[in-house]
Amino acid sequence: MDTHRIYEIRCPVHGFIRLNDWEWTVISQPAFQRLRRIRQLAWTDYVYPGAMHTRFEHSLGVMHTATELYDAIKRNSQDVLKADLAYNDAGLNRDSQLVRFAALLHDVGHSPFSHGSEDLFPRHDNGGKFRHEEYSAAVIRSELRDAIEKHPLNANYGFKADDVASLIEGSADAKQAVFWRDLIDGQMDADRMDYLLRDSVHIGVQYGKFDLNRLVTTIRAIPSPGGHPPQIGISKGGVHAAEALVLARYFMFTQVYFHKTRVAYDVHLRGAMKELLPGGHFPRPIAGELKEFLGWDDWRVLGLLAAGKGGEHGHRLSSRHHYRRVFDTPEISTEVDLELAEAIKKKLGTLLATEEFASKSWYKTGRPDIPVVDDDNPKAVLPLSKYSNVVANLKANNKVFLYVKPEDVVRSRELIREVLEHGR
Amino acid sequence: MADNNEARLALIPALAGQSSSGYIGRTALMKYMYFLQVLRKVPLDYRFTLYSYGPFDSNVLADLASAESLNVVKSDLATYLGGYGYKISPAERAEWLRKRSSAFLSHHKEDVKWVLRTFGSYTSVELELLATIVFVDREAQQKKEKIRLNDVVKRVHEVKPHFKEDKIQTYANHLIKEKLLAHA
Repeated sequence: MDTHRIYEIRCPVHGFIRLNDWEWTVISQPAFQRLRRIRQLAWTDYVYPGAMHTRFEHSLGVMHTATELYDAIKRNSQDVLKADLAYNDAGLNRDSQLVRFAALLHDVGHSPFSHGSEDLFPRHDNGGKFRHEEYSAAVIRSELRDAIEKHPLNANYGFKADDVASLIEGSADAKQAVFWRDLIDGQMDADRMDYLLRDSVHIGVQYGKFDLNRLVTTIRAIPSPGGHPPQIGISKGGVHAAEALVLARYFMFTQVYFHKTRVAYDVHLRGAMKELLPGGHFPRPIAGELKEFLGWDDWRVLGLLAAGKGGEHGHRLSSRHHYRRVFDTPEISTEVDLELAEAIKKKLGTLLATEEFASKSWYKTGRPDIPVVDDDNPKAVLPLSKYSNVVANLKANNKVFLYVKPEDVVRSRELIREVLEHGR
Repeated sequence: MADNNEARLALIPALAGQSSSGYIGRTALMKYMYFLQVLRKVPLDYRFTLYSYGPFDSNVLADLASAESLNVVKSDLATYLGGYGYKISPAERAEWLRKRSSAFLSHHKEDVKWVLRTFGSYTSVELELLATIVFVDREAQQKKEKIRLNDVVKRVHEVKPHFKEDKIQTYANHLIKEKLLAHA
């Protein structure tokens, strides 16, 4: 084994992604290879046929992007990292590899068809539902522990699997490295940057495109006054690139992630999975249940659906016979719009198959709060919205969709017309 | 609006409107929600994880954005040397949402009063520190770790190295006085 070998993997977004032998060993583990069988965008291919890409290539892309961002911050803000976060050169070198692992493995605990089936995660004893990051952390601590801890390159780092897991799940055990969580799960994180670009490439749309290179050259650790920790932001030169990132998210939400038909298939996926999973929910991310969880991937679900299982929703998935949207509110709904939706819902009664809310989507909208620093006057820090009218006027999408079964569309539209014309 | 996030949204103008100044900042909003959920068991269903600026859940800001869209609250930018903040205050439609969520707000009236009384006088930096101390304390409790207050202070220092341990200890003492730490 040549432990110093560098591997290169072709990527449709970033060109070549380079991995060291340690990372290669990790991605070769069955728990990571499983991501080849988890589609990034669930059943989006029923709307955009190109959406067949997987969490495997996204995870590699996030590692690549996180590294670009990390290296740029280290290059641009070394003084801040050393003064405010007590880093030295060795610490920065160590956390560079830690961030790469956290980015690479942040999605390793995804359920089949990604976010589409997360509603079926079981609950903690305290009532809250498990999150996919908790599954990722559990997979890292069990299935990937040896690959992380026993590789010869780890002699230089002394990593424990828990170090990677703690950073992903946001535990105090991550110590000063929690600063870098914003690159994994934040407003300008590598996850978002990669999925916007990657989803656009595969789907064949331009909505998610933005200038990643410009963001990389302008990203900074910005010192905050009065005892706040530094924040990750950009210099003024990156304002329009950041603006484009925000708009990319907005466009992708409205055109792809919250597309009426795509959302209907999330509903059918949840319904089918509820039928397929013993007890109607996934196994928990704990010893004795995690392996069973990892046995669930898209292939298994597709096999069960092909065998005619999954109930009514399974049949709708197999036959592409989805619920139909009969009413929706504007992207920025007022109380009047929302009360109209409620009146229609009441009128539809049992014809209403489901209602779906943009505000509850995994993908978020609204105005981000990205700090912008003037390099000529480092004391001048303002939010992106102060530099961009477009961003300043972005509001959260609170659209509501009402769906009925295809056979109920005609009758439902009649009832809706009654409400619209007569207010009842 | 039949969205069950409604109660969470209604809490935002309630907190802002009942604060002594009539507005709150984003950090205060985030940490008040954290304290309400963790220390008072208000069922908000947020998932707070740790960042260098303390416990955080992006869904709190998503709720704030939704509340702004509905004109339930407004956020005014306030700038100062080296930084900026927001003043979140009730807006025109706050009363509409208050009426719709009156059962929830009435049930948690004392919790809102408590969080404002206990934490309302702290600055955003202090709130970040206090919330981080509580997070570290509760995380250790959840993991059934047998640690002492001194260990909590050390862990907080590792996360927030710009705070000296004696300062962290001082703020931990404030929480102990209020009987809010498990490892006191």
